[in-house]
Amino acid sequence: MSDAPTIKIALKNFKFFQERKPLLNGITLDVVANRILGVIGPAGSGKTTFLRSLNRLNDLMPDTHIEGQLLLDGEDIYHPGFNVVSLRKRVGMLFALPVALPMSIYENVVYGPRLSGIRKRERLDQIVEQSLKAAFLWDEVKDRLQMSGLRLSGGQQQRLCLARVLAMEELEVILLDEPCSGLDPISTAKIEEALTVLKQKYTIILVTNNTKQAARVADDTAFFLLGDLIECGKTEKIFTVPDDKRTNDYVTGRFG
Amino acid sequence: MRVSPKFTQALAVLLLGSATLLTLAVLFFVIAFVLVKGLPGVTWDFLTTAPKEMGKEGGIFPTLVGTILLPLLAIGIAVPLGVGTAIYLTEYTRENRMTRALRFGTDCLAGIPSIIFGLFGFIFFVVMLKMGWCLLSGALTLAIMVLPTIIRTSEEAIRSVPNAYREVSFSLGATRWETVIKVILPNALPGIVTGMVLGVGRSIGETAAVIFTAGSSLRMPLTVFDSVRTMSVHFYILAREGISNEKAYATASVLIISVLLINLVAYTMMHRFISKRAK
Repeated sequence: MSDAPTIKIALKNFKFFQERKPLLNGITLDVVANRILGVIGPAGSGKTTFLRSLNRLNDLMPDTHIEGQLLLDGEDIYHPGFNVVSLRKRVGMLFALPVALPMSIYENVVYGPRLSGIRKRERLDQIVEQSLKAAFLWDEVKDRLQMSGLRLSGGQQQRLCLARVLAMEELEVILLDEPCSGLDPISTAKIEEALTVLKQKYTIILVTNNTKQAARVADDTAFFLLGDLIECGKTEKIFTVPDDKRTNDYVTGRFG
Repeated sequence: MRVSPKFTQALAVLLLGSATLLTLAVLFFVIAFVLVKGLPGVTWDFLTTAPKEMGKEGGIFPTLVGTILLPLLAIGIAVPLGVGTAIYLTEYTRENRMTRALRFGTDCLAGIPSIIFGLFGFIFFVVMLKMGWCLLSGALTLAIMVLPTIIRTSEEAIRSVPNAYREVSFSLGATRWETVIKVILPNALPGIVTGMVLGVGRSIGETAAVIFTAGSSLRMPLTVFDSVRTMSVHFYILAREGISNEKAYATASVLIISVLLINLVAYTMMHRFISKRAK
Protein backbone atom coordinates (compact mmCIF):
# COMPACT_ATOMS: atom_id res chain seq x y z
CA MET A 1 0.00 0.00 0.00
CA SER A 2 2.62 2.52 -1.05
CA ASP A 3 0.21 5.04 -2.56
CA ALA A 4 -2.84 4.86 -0.34
CA PRO A 5 -5.46 7.37 -1.52
CA THR A 6 -5.59 10.67 0.36
CA ILE A 7 -8.87 11.18 2.17
CA LYS A 8 -9.88 14.78 1.51
CA ILE A 9 -13.23 14.82 3.27
CA ALA A 10 -14.46 12.38 5.87
CA LEU A 11 -17.96 12.22 7.31
CA LYS A 12 -18.34 10.33 10.57
CA ASN A 13 -21.94 9.48 11.39
CA PHE A 14 -22.86 12.98 10.21
CA LYS A 15 -26.47 13.97 10.89
CA PHE A 16 -28.18 17.16 9.80
CA PHE A 17 -31.45 18.46 11.20
CA GLN A 18 -33.66 21.35 10.23
CA GLU A 19 -36.44 22.35 12.60
CA ARG A 20 -35.78 19.07 14.46
CA LYS A 21 -36.49 17.08 11.28
CA PRO A 22 -33.55 14.88 10.24
CA LEU A 23 -32.51 15.53 6.64
CA LEU A 24 -29.35 13.40 6.78
CA ASN A 25 -29.37 10.31 9.01
CA GLY A 26 -25.86 9.45 10.01
CA ILE A 27 -23.72 9.58 6.88
CA THR A 28 -20.31 7.92 7.04
CA LEU A 29 -18.31 8.49 3.90
CA ASP A 30 -14.77 9.16 2.74
CA VAL A 31 -14.17 11.41 -0.25
CA VAL A 32 -10.88 10.69 -1.97
CA ALA A 33 -8.73 13.56 -3.18
CA ASN A 34 -8.32 14.23 -6.91
CA ARG A 35 -11.28 12.13 -7.90
CA ILE A 36 -14.82 12.96 -8.94
CA LEU A 37 -17.50 11.69 -6.59
CA GLY A 38 -20.90 11.49 -8.25
CA VAL A 39 -23.88 11.74 -5.91
CA ILE A 40 -27.13 10.30 -7.20
CA GLY A 41 -30.54 9.62 -5.74
CA PRO A 42 -34.18 10.58 -6.20
CA ALA A 43 -35.56 14.02 -5.27
CA GLY A 44 -35.65 14.61 -1.51
CA SER A 45 -32.90 12.10 -0.80
CA GLY A 46 -30.63 14.68 0.87
CA LYS A 47 -28.10 15.11 -1.96
CA THR A 48 -28.20 18.90 -1.90
CA THR A 49 -28.30 19.04 1.90
CA PHE A 50 -25.21 16.82 1.92
CA LEU A 51 -23.45 19.11 -0.56
CA ARG A 52 -24.37 22.28 1.32
CA SER A 53 -23.13 20.78 4.58
CA LEU A 54 -19.67 20.62 3.07
CA ASN A 55 -19.30 24.40 2.68
CA ARG A 56 -21.70 25.17 5.54
CA LEU A 57 -24.08 27.02 3.25
CA ASN A 58 -26.79 25.21 5.20
CA ASP A 59 -25.97 27.59 8.05
CA LEU A 60 -28.07 30.20 6.21
CA MET A 61 -31.24 28.21 6.86
CA PRO A 62 -33.06 28.93 10.12
CA ASP A 63 -33.03 26.47 13.02
CA THR A 64 -30.51 23.83 11.98
CA HIS A 65 -28.17 21.63 13.95
CA ILE A 66 -25.78 18.80 13.27
CA GLU A 67 -24.41 15.73 14.98
CA GLY A 68 -21.35 13.69 14.19
CA GLN A 69 -18.26 14.98 12.44
CA LEU A 70 -17.37 16.39 9.06
CA LEU A 71 -13.62 16.52 8.53
CA LEU A 72 -11.78 18.44 5.83
CA ASP A 73 -8.13 17.39 5.79
CA GLY A 74 -8.76 15.92 9.22
CA GLU A 75 -10.13 19.15 10.67
CA ASP A 76 -13.71 19.33 11.93
CA ILE A 77 -15.35 22.12 9.93
CA TYR A 78 -18.25 22.34 12.40
CA HIS A 79 -15.89 22.97 15.32
CA PRO A 80 -16.96 26.28 16.93
CA GLY A 81 -13.57 27.86 16.27
CA PHE A 82 -13.52 26.94 12.58
CA ASN A 83 -13.39 29.90 10.20
CA VAL A 84 -16.40 29.53 7.86
CA VAL A 85 -15.25 32.28 5.50
CA SER A 86 -11.91 30.57 4.84
CA LEU A 87 -13.73 27.22 4.52
CA ARG A 88 -15.86 28.60 1.69
CA LYS A 89 -12.77 29.85 -0.10
CA ARG A 90 -11.34 26.32 0.04
CA VAL A 91 -14.62 24.60 -0.84
CA GLY A 92 -16.22 26.32 -3.83
CA MET A 93 -19.70 25.68 -5.13
CA LEU A 94 -21.49 25.71 -8.45
CA PHE A 95 -25.28 26.02 -8.19
CA ALA A 96 -28.02 24.37 -10.20
CA LEU A 97 -29.07 27.63 -11.78
CA PRO A 98 -26.25 29.72 -13.21
CA VAL A 99 -26.16 32.97 -11.24
CA ALA A 100 -23.96 35.63 -12.74
CA LEU A 101 -23.83 38.56 -10.36
CA PRO A 102 -25.09 41.78 -11.97
CA MET A 103 -21.61 43.10 -12.73
CA SER A 104 -19.14 42.70 -15.56
CA ILE A 105 -17.68 39.33 -16.57
CA TYR A 106 -14.33 40.52 -15.23
CA GLU A 107 -15.76 41.57 -11.86
CA ASN A 108 -17.64 38.30 -11.55
CA VAL A 109 -14.43 36.33 -11.90
CA VAL A 110 -12.39 38.46 -9.49
CA TYR A 111 -15.13 38.55 -6.83
CA GLY A 112 -13.40 35.92 -4.70
CA PRO A 113 -9.80 37.11 -5.26
CA ARG A 114 -10.78 40.70 -4.38
CA LEU A 115 -12.30 39.44 -1.11
CA SER A 116 -8.99 37.73 -0.41
CA GLY A 117 -7.32 41.11 -0.74
CA ILE A 118 -5.73 40.85 -4.19
CA ARG A 119 -5.55 44.39 -5.60
CA LYS A 120 -2.81 44.34 -8.25
CA ARG A 121 -4.29 44.79 -11.69
CA GLU A 122 -1.82 42.49 -13.48
CA ARG A 123 -2.44 39.73 -10.96
CA LEU A 124 -6.23 40.06 -11.36
CA ASP A 125 -5.93 40.11 -15.17
CA GLN A 126 -3.89 36.95 -14.97
CA ILE A 127 -6.44 35.24 -12.69
CA VAL A 128 -9.28 36.18 -15.04
CA GLU A 129 -7.52 34.72 -18.06
CA GLN A 130 -6.48 31.51 -16.30
CA SER A 131 -9.89 30.88 -14.75
CA LEU A 132 -11.86 31.59 -17.90
CA LYS A 133 -9.54 29.32 -19.88
CA ALA A 134 -9.93 26.53 -17.34
CA ALA A 135 -13.72 26.91 -17.61
CA PHE A 136 -13.55 26.77 -21.45
CA LEU A 137 -15.06 30.26 -21.74
CA TRP A 138 -12.05 32.46 -22.53
CA ASP A 139 -12.31 32.31 -26.33
CA GLU A 140 -15.96 33.33 -26.25
CA VAL A 141 -15.60 36.35 -23.97
CA LYS A 142 -12.00 37.55 -24.13
CA ASP A 143 -12.95 40.62 -26.18
CA ARG A 144 -15.85 41.71 -23.97
CA LEU A 145 -14.73 41.21 -20.39
CA GLN A 146 -16.35 44.49 -19.33
CA MET A 147 -19.78 43.37 -20.58
CA SER A 148 -22.40 42.51 -17.94
CA GLY A 149 -22.29 38.84 -17.00
CA LEU A 150 -26.08 38.80 -17.20
CA ARG A 151 -25.94 39.15 -20.97
CA LEU A 152 -24.28 35.77 -21.46
CA SER A 153 -26.36 32.71 -22.38
CA GLY A 154 -27.28 30.19 -19.68
CA GLY A 155 -24.50 27.80 -20.65
CA GLN A 156 -21.95 30.59 -20.77
CA GLN A 157 -23.13 31.92 -17.41
CA GLN A 158 -22.63 28.52 -15.82
CA ARG A 159 -19.07 28.40 -17.16
CA LEU A 160 -18.59 31.94 -15.86
CA CYS A 161 -19.72 30.66 -12.45
CA LEU A 162 -17.20 27.83 -12.74
CA ALA A 163 -14.46 30.34 -13.62
CA ARG A 164 -15.50 32.43 -10.62
CA VAL A 165 -15.02 29.41 -8.35
CA LEU A 166 -11.71 28.48 -9.97
CA ALA A 167 -10.44 32.04 -9.50
CA MET A 168 -10.14 31.45 -5.75
CA GLU A 169 -6.52 30.70 -4.99
CA GLU A 170 -7.34 28.79 -1.81
CA LEU A 171 -9.66 26.41 -3.71
CA GLU A 172 -9.26 22.69 -2.94
CA VAL A 173 -12.73 21.18 -3.37
CA ILE A 174 -15.42 21.94 -5.96
CA LEU A 175 -19.04 21.17 -5.14
CA LEU A 176 -21.47 21.00 -8.03
CA ASP A 177 -25.22 20.94 -7.45
CA GLU A 178 -26.80 19.62 -10.64
CA PRO A 179 -24.74 22.12 -12.62
CA CYS A 180 -26.08 21.01 -15.98
CA SER A 181 -29.78 20.69 -15.20
CA GLY A 182 -30.71 23.74 -17.28
CA LEU A 183 -28.04 23.47 -19.95
CA ASP A 184 -27.96 22.31 -23.54
CA PRO A 185 -25.92 19.20 -24.46
CA ILE A 186 -22.98 21.20 -25.82
CA SER A 187 -22.62 23.36 -22.71
CA THR A 188 -23.00 20.21 -20.61
CA ALA A 189 -20.21 18.52 -22.56
CA LYS A 190 -17.96 21.54 -21.99
CA ILE A 191 -18.59 21.52 -18.23
CA GLU A 192 -17.95 17.76 -18.08
CA GLU A 193 -14.76 18.17 -20.09
CA ALA A 194 -13.61 20.88 -17.71
CA LEU A 195 -14.30 18.64 -14.70
CA THR A 196 -12.22 15.75 -15.97
CA VAL A 197 -9.28 18.13 -16.37
CA LEU A 198 -9.87 19.87 -13.05
CA LYS A 199 -9.80 16.71 -10.95
CA GLN A 200 -6.02 16.60 -11.35
CA LYS A 201 -5.88 19.66 -9.15
CA TYR A 202 -9.06 19.54 -7.09
CA THR A 203 -11.42 17.15 -5.37
CA ILE A 204 -14.80 17.25 -7.03
CA ILE A 205 -18.23 16.29 -5.75
CA LEU A 206 -20.97 16.28 -8.37
CA VAL A 207 -24.62 15.97 -7.39
CA THR A 208 -26.68 15.03 -10.39
CA ASN A 209 -30.19 13.94 -11.25
CA ASN A 210 -28.86 12.54 -14.46
CA THR A 211 -27.50 9.07 -13.64
CA LYS A 212 -25.90 8.89 -17.08
CA GLN A 213 -23.84 11.96 -16.24
CA ALA A 214 -22.55 10.27 -13.08
CA ALA A 215 -21.71 7.19 -15.13
CA ARG A 216 -19.84 9.37 -17.67
CA VAL A 217 -17.68 11.53 -15.42
CA ALA A 218 -17.63 10.19 -11.85
CA ASP A 219 -14.83 7.96 -10.58
CA ASP A 220 -16.84 7.01 -7.53
CA THR A 221 -20.57 7.17 -7.05
CA ALA A 222 -22.66 7.50 -3.90
CA PHE A 223 -26.34 6.63 -3.86
CA PHE A 224 -28.56 8.55 -1.42
CA LEU A 225 -32.12 7.64 -0.49
CA LEU A 226 -34.34 9.51 1.99
CA GLY A 227 -31.42 11.00 3.88
CA ASP A 228 -29.44 7.76 4.04
CA LEU A 229 -26.28 6.87 2.17
CA ILE A 230 -27.23 3.49 0.71
CA GLU A 231 -23.87 2.71 -0.79
CA CYS A 232 -20.76 4.25 -2.24
CA GLY A 233 -18.17 2.68 -4.48
CA LYS A 234 -16.39 2.74 -7.80
CA THR A 235 -18.74 4.04 -10.48
CA GLU A 236 -18.43 0.89 -12.65
CA LYS A 237 -19.41 -1.24 -9.69
CA ILE A 238 -22.39 0.90 -8.67
CA PHE A 239 -23.71 0.85 -12.21
CA THR A 240 -23.14 -2.85 -12.87
CA VAL A 241 -23.03 -4.94 -9.72
CA PRO A 242 -24.18 -2.80 -6.77
CA ASP A 243 -24.41 -4.44 -3.37
CA ASP A 244 -27.84 -3.06 -2.57
CA LYS A 245 -30.97 -3.95 -4.47
CA ARG A 246 -32.30 -0.37 -4.13
CA THR A 247 -29.19 0.99 -5.85
CA ASN A 248 -29.67 -1.49 -8.64
CA ASP A 249 -33.34 -0.53 -9.01
CA TYR A 250 -32.44 3.17 -9.16
CA VAL A 251 -29.58 2.99 -11.66
CA THR A 252 -31.54 0.70 -13.94
CA GLY A 253 -34.44 3.13 -13.81
CA ARG A 254 -36.91 0.92 -12.04
CA PHE A 255 -37.83 3.69 -9.59
CA GLY A 256 -36.95 7.24 -8.67
CA MET B 1 -82.61 38.29 -15.15
CA ARG B 2 -79.20 38.01 -16.70
CA VAL B 3 -77.37 41.17 -17.69
CA SER B 4 -75.54 40.68 -20.94
CA PRO B 5 -71.72 40.56 -20.63
CA LYS B 6 -71.55 43.16 -23.37
CA PHE B 7 -73.52 45.59 -21.23
CA THR B 8 -71.45 45.01 -18.05
CA GLN B 9 -68.31 45.41 -20.11
CA ALA B 10 -69.47 48.72 -21.54
CA LEU B 11 -70.57 49.88 -18.08
CA ALA B 12 -67.20 48.98 -16.56
CA VAL B 13 -65.31 50.88 -19.23
CA LEU B 14 -67.58 53.89 -18.73
CA LEU B 15 -67.28 53.93 -14.93
CA LEU B 16 -63.55 53.22 -14.73
CA GLY B 17 -62.88 55.66 -17.55
CA SER B 18 -64.79 58.48 -15.90
CA ALA B 19 -63.13 57.82 -12.54
CA THR B 20 -59.75 58.20 -14.22
CA LEU B 21 -60.85 61.27 -16.12
CA LEU B 22 -62.24 62.89 -12.98
CA THR B 23 -59.04 62.25 -11.06
CA LEU B 24 -56.94 63.72 -13.82
CA ALA B 25 -59.27 66.70 -14.12
CA VAL B 26 -59.08 67.49 -10.40
CA LEU B 27 -55.29 67.21 -10.40
CA PHE B 28 -54.98 69.31 -13.49
CA PHE B 29 -57.41 71.91 -12.16
CA VAL B 30 -55.54 72.35 -8.85
CA ILE B 31 -52.16 72.70 -10.52
CA ALA B 32 -53.45 74.93 -13.32
CA PHE B 33 -55.34 77.14 -10.85
CA VAL B 34 -52.23 77.78 -8.75
CA LEU B 35 -49.95 78.21 -11.73
CA VAL B 36 -52.28 80.61 -13.56
CA LYS B 37 -52.61 82.81 -10.48
CA GLY B 38 -48.99 82.42 -9.41
CA LEU B 39 -46.75 82.17 -12.46
CA PRO B 40 -47.06 85.85 -13.51
CA GLY B 41 -45.48 86.73 -10.14
CA VAL B 42 -42.54 84.35 -10.61
CA THR B 43 -39.69 86.42 -11.99
CA TRP B 44 -35.93 86.18 -11.67
CA ASP B 45 -36.08 88.97 -9.08
CA PHE B 46 -38.74 87.08 -7.13
CA LEU B 47 -36.49 84.03 -6.91
CA THR B 48 -33.29 85.86 -6.06
CA THR B 49 -34.16 88.73 -3.74
CA ALA B 50 -35.06 88.82 -0.07
CA PRO B 51 -38.63 89.54 0.99
CA LYS B 52 -39.57 92.97 2.31
CA GLU B 53 -42.37 93.90 4.72
CA MET B 54 -42.96 90.32 5.89
CA GLY B 55 -43.17 89.11 2.30
CA LYS B 56 -45.63 91.68 1.04
CA GLU B 57 -42.95 92.93 -1.32
CA GLY B 58 -39.71 91.47 -2.66
CA GLY B 59 -38.82 87.89 -3.37
CA ILE B 60 -38.45 84.53 -1.63
CA PHE B 61 -34.71 83.87 -1.80
CA PRO B 62 -34.15 82.93 1.89
CA THR B 63 -37.14 80.60 1.85
CA LEU B 64 -35.83 78.99 -1.32
CA VAL B 65 -32.55 78.35 0.46
CA GLY B 66 -34.43 77.04 3.49
CA THR B 67 -36.48 74.73 1.28
CA ILE B 68 -33.29 73.26 -0.14
CA LEU B 69 -31.29 73.04 3.11
CA LEU B 70 -33.91 71.68 5.48
CA PRO B 71 -34.97 68.58 3.49
CA LEU B 72 -31.37 67.89 2.48
CA LEU B 73 -30.23 67.95 6.09
CA ALA B 74 -33.24 65.87 7.16
CA ILE B 75 -32.52 63.24 4.51
CA GLY B 76 -28.83 63.34 5.38
CA ILE B 77 -29.78 62.35 8.92
CA ALA B 78 -32.57 59.92 8.04
CA VAL B 79 -30.86 57.90 5.30
CA PRO B 80 -27.95 56.44 7.28
CA LEU B 81 -30.32 55.59 10.15
CA GLY B 82 -33.08 54.26 7.93
CA VAL B 83 -30.95 52.27 5.51
CA GLY B 84 -28.94 50.91 8.44
CA THR B 85 -32.13 49.77 10.15
CA ALA B 86 -33.42 48.23 6.93
CA ILE B 87 -30.17 46.30 6.41
CA TYR B 88 -30.25 45.11 9.99
CA LEU B 89 -33.89 43.99 9.76
CA THR B 90 -33.48 42.17 6.45
CA GLU B 91 -29.94 40.79 6.53
CA TYR B 92 -28.85 40.47 10.13
CA THR B 93 -31.93 39.15 11.88
CA ARG B 94 -34.41 36.42 11.14
CA GLU B 95 -38.13 37.15 11.43
CA ASN B 96 -38.87 37.12 15.14
CA ARG B 97 -40.92 38.98 17.70
CA MET B 98 -38.42 41.85 17.82
CA THR B 99 -38.35 42.49 14.07
CA ARG B 100 -42.12 42.26 13.90
CA ALA B 101 -42.45 44.76 16.75
CA LEU B 102 -39.96 47.09 15.05
CA ARG B 103 -41.78 46.85 11.75
CA PHE B 104 -45.13 47.43 13.45
CA GLY B 105 -43.62 50.44 15.19
CA THR B 106 -42.32 51.99 11.98
CA ASP B 107 -45.67 51.41 10.28
CA CYS B 108 -47.44 53.20 13.14
CA LEU B 109 -44.90 56.01 12.97
CA ALA B 110 -45.73 56.44 9.28
CA GLY B 111 -49.40 57.01 10.09
CA ILE B 112 -48.93 59.68 12.78
CA PRO B 113 -49.98 63.22 11.73
CA SER B 114 -47.01 65.47 11.12
CA ILE B 115 -48.12 68.02 13.72
CA ILE B 116 -47.50 65.42 16.43
CA PHE B 117 -43.90 65.14 15.23
CA GLY B 118 -43.81 68.95 15.24
CA LEU B 119 -45.00 69.05 18.82
CA PHE B 120 -42.49 66.41 19.86
CA GLY B 121 -39.68 68.25 18.07
CA PHE B 122 -40.69 71.50 19.73
CA ILE B 123 -40.76 70.03 23.23
CA PHE B 124 -37.69 67.81 22.83
CA PHE B 125 -35.25 69.62 20.53
CA VAL B 126 -36.35 73.24 20.82
CA VAL B 127 -37.20 73.42 24.53
CA MET B 128 -35.60 70.50 26.37
CA LEU B 129 -32.32 70.43 24.49
CA LYS B 130 -32.45 74.25 24.29
CA MET B 131 -31.64 74.19 20.58
CA GLY B 132 -34.27 76.81 19.83
CA TRP B 133 -36.08 77.19 16.53
CA CYS B 134 -33.43 76.31 14.04
CA LEU B 135 -32.47 74.40 10.92
CA LEU B 136 -31.11 71.51 12.98
CA SER B 137 -34.23 71.12 15.18
CA GLY B 138 -36.36 71.13 12.06
CA ALA B 139 -34.14 68.69 10.20
CA LEU B 140 -34.04 66.26 13.13
CA THR B 141 -37.82 66.41 13.45
CA LEU B 142 -38.34 65.89 9.71
CA ALA B 143 -35.79 63.06 9.78
CA ILE B 144 -37.85 61.23 12.41
CA MET B 145 -40.94 61.90 10.33
CA VAL B 146 -39.60 60.45 7.07
CA LEU B 147 -37.68 57.62 8.73
CA PRO B 148 -40.52 55.08 8.36
CA THR B 149 -40.77 55.76 4.61
CA ILE B 150 -37.01 55.38 4.19
CA ILE B 151 -36.93 52.16 6.23
CA ARG B 152 -39.87 50.62 4.39
CA THR B 153 -38.73 51.46 0.85
CA SER B 154 -35.17 50.37 1.65
CA GLU B 155 -36.45 47.12 3.13
CA GLU B 156 -38.49 46.42 0.01
CA ALA B 157 -35.53 47.24 -2.21
CA ILE B 158 -33.19 45.00 -0.21
CA ARG B 159 -35.72 42.18 -0.10
CA SER B 160 -36.12 42.31 -3.88
CA VAL B 161 -32.43 41.46 -4.36
CA PRO B 162 -32.54 37.78 -5.43
CA ASN B 163 -31.53 35.37 -2.69
CA ALA B 164 -29.31 33.53 -5.18
CA TYR B 165 -26.96 36.56 -5.16
CA ARG B 166 -26.52 36.21 -1.41
CA GLU B 167 -25.82 32.47 -1.68
CA VAL B 168 -23.28 33.03 -4.45
CA SER B 169 -21.56 35.76 -2.48
CA PHE B 170 -21.38 33.65 0.70
CA SER B 171 -20.22 30.61 -1.26
CA LEU B 172 -17.31 32.67 -2.59
CA GLY B 173 -16.16 33.36 0.95
CA ALA B 174 -17.73 36.76 1.53
CA THR B 175 -18.79 37.77 5.02
CA ARG B 176 -22.27 39.13 5.58
CA TRP B 177 -20.96 42.70 5.56
CA GLU B 178 -18.99 42.17 2.35
CA THR B 179 -22.12 40.71 0.79
CA VAL B 180 -24.14 43.75 1.87
CA ILE B 181 -21.57 46.19 0.49
CA LYS B 182 -20.66 44.42 -2.75
CA VAL B 183 -23.91 42.79 -3.81
CA ILE B 184 -26.95 43.89 -1.86
CA LEU B 185 -26.57 47.68 -1.65
CA PRO B 186 -25.60 48.21 -5.32
CA ASN B 187 -28.64 46.22 -6.38
CA ALA B 188 -30.98 47.87 -3.90
CA LEU B 189 -29.64 51.38 -4.52
CA PRO B 190 -32.21 52.55 -7.08
CA GLY B 191 -35.03 51.56 -4.74
CA ILE B 192 -33.32 53.22 -1.79
CA VAL B 193 -32.85 56.42 -3.80
CA THR B 194 -36.52 56.39 -4.73
CA GLY B 195 -37.38 56.27 -1.02
CA MET B 196 -35.00 59.16 -0.40
CA VAL B 197 -36.69 61.25 -3.06
CA LEU B 198 -40.10 60.48 -1.58
CA GLY B 199 -38.77 61.61 1.80
CA VAL B 200 -37.45 64.84 0.31
CA GLY B 201 -40.83 65.45 -1.28
CA ARG B 202 -42.61 64.97 2.03
CA SER B 203 -40.18 67.29 3.82
CA ILE B 204 -40.58 70.02 1.22
CA GLY B 205 -44.34 69.99 1.52
CA GLU B 206 -44.37 69.94 5.32
CA THR B 207 -45.58 73.02 7.24
CA ALA B 208 -46.87 72.05 10.69
CA ALA B 209 -43.78 70.19 11.85
CA VAL B 210 -41.49 72.86 10.39
CA ILE B 211 -43.13 75.91 11.98
CA PHE B 212 -42.89 74.28 15.41
CA THR B 213 -39.24 73.35 15.10
CA ALA B 214 -37.41 75.40 12.46
CA GLY B 215 -39.39 78.54 13.12
CA SER B 216 -40.28 81.01 10.42
CA SER B 217 -37.50 83.58 10.32
CA LEU B 218 -37.16 85.38 7.01
CA ARG B 219 -33.46 86.00 7.51
CA MET B 220 -30.87 84.08 5.55
CA PRO B 221 -29.70 81.06 7.58
CA LEU B 222 -25.92 81.11 8.12
CA THR B 223 -25.49 78.14 10.47
CA VAL B 224 -27.61 75.12 11.38
CA PHE B 225 -28.58 76.97 14.56
CA ASP B 226 -30.36 79.72 12.62
CA SER B 227 -34.09 79.69 12.17
CA VAL B 228 -35.34 79.21 8.61
CA ARG B 229 -38.59 79.50 6.74
CA THR B 230 -39.39 77.08 3.93
CA MET B 231 -41.57 77.93 0.94
CA SER B 232 -44.44 75.86 2.33
CA VAL B 233 -44.35 77.79 5.60
CA HIS B 234 -43.94 81.07 3.76
CA PHE B 235 -46.99 80.31 1.65
CA TYR B 236 -48.99 79.32 4.72
CA ILE B 237 -48.11 82.54 6.55
CA LEU B 238 -48.68 84.79 3.53
CA ALA B 239 -52.08 83.27 2.92
CA ARG B 240 -53.19 82.94 6.54
CA GLU B 241 -52.15 86.35 7.70
CA GLY B 242 -53.55 87.87 4.50
CA ILE B 243 -50.20 89.49 3.75
CA SER B 244 -50.23 89.06 -0.01
CA ASN B 245 -52.26 86.65 -2.06
CA GLU B 246 -50.26 87.42 -5.15
CA LYS B 247 -46.95 86.51 -3.45
CA ALA B 248 -48.57 83.45 -1.86
CA TYR B 249 -49.61 82.05 -5.23
CA ALA B 250 -46.24 82.84 -6.76
CA THR B 251 -44.55 80.94 -3.90
CA ALA B 252 -46.98 78.06 -4.36
CA SER B 253 -46.13 77.92 -8.07
CA VAL B 254 -42.43 77.63 -7.34
CA LEU B 255 -43.22 74.95 -4.77
CA ILE B 256 -45.37 72.94 -7.16
CA ILE B 257 -42.75 73.10 -9.87
CA SER B 258 -40.07 71.92 -7.43
CA VAL B 259 -42.20 69.00 -6.30
CA LEU B 260 -42.97 68.10 -9.93
CA LEU B 261 -39.26 68.15 -10.69
CA ILE B 262 -38.48 65.90 -7.73
CA ASN B 263 -41.16 63.43 -8.75
CA LEU B 264 -39.81 63.46 -12.27
CA VAL B 265 -36.42 62.50 -10.91
CA ALA B 266 -38.01 59.79 -8.77
CA TYR B 267 -39.91 58.46 -11.75
CA THR B 268 -36.85 58.33 -13.99
CA MET B 269 -34.91 56.54 -11.29
CA MET B 270 -37.66 54.01 -10.76
CA HIS B 271 -37.85 53.50 -14.50
CA ARG B 272 -34.11 52.99 -14.78
CA PHE B 273 -34.29 50.58 -11.83
CA ILE B 274 -36.91 48.45 -13.55
CA SER B 275 -35.27 48.45 -16.98
CA LYS B 276 -31.89 47.61 -15.43
CA ARG B 277 -33.34 44.62 -13.62
CA ALA B 278 -35.10 43.41 -16.75
CA LYS B 279 -31.90 43.52 -18.78
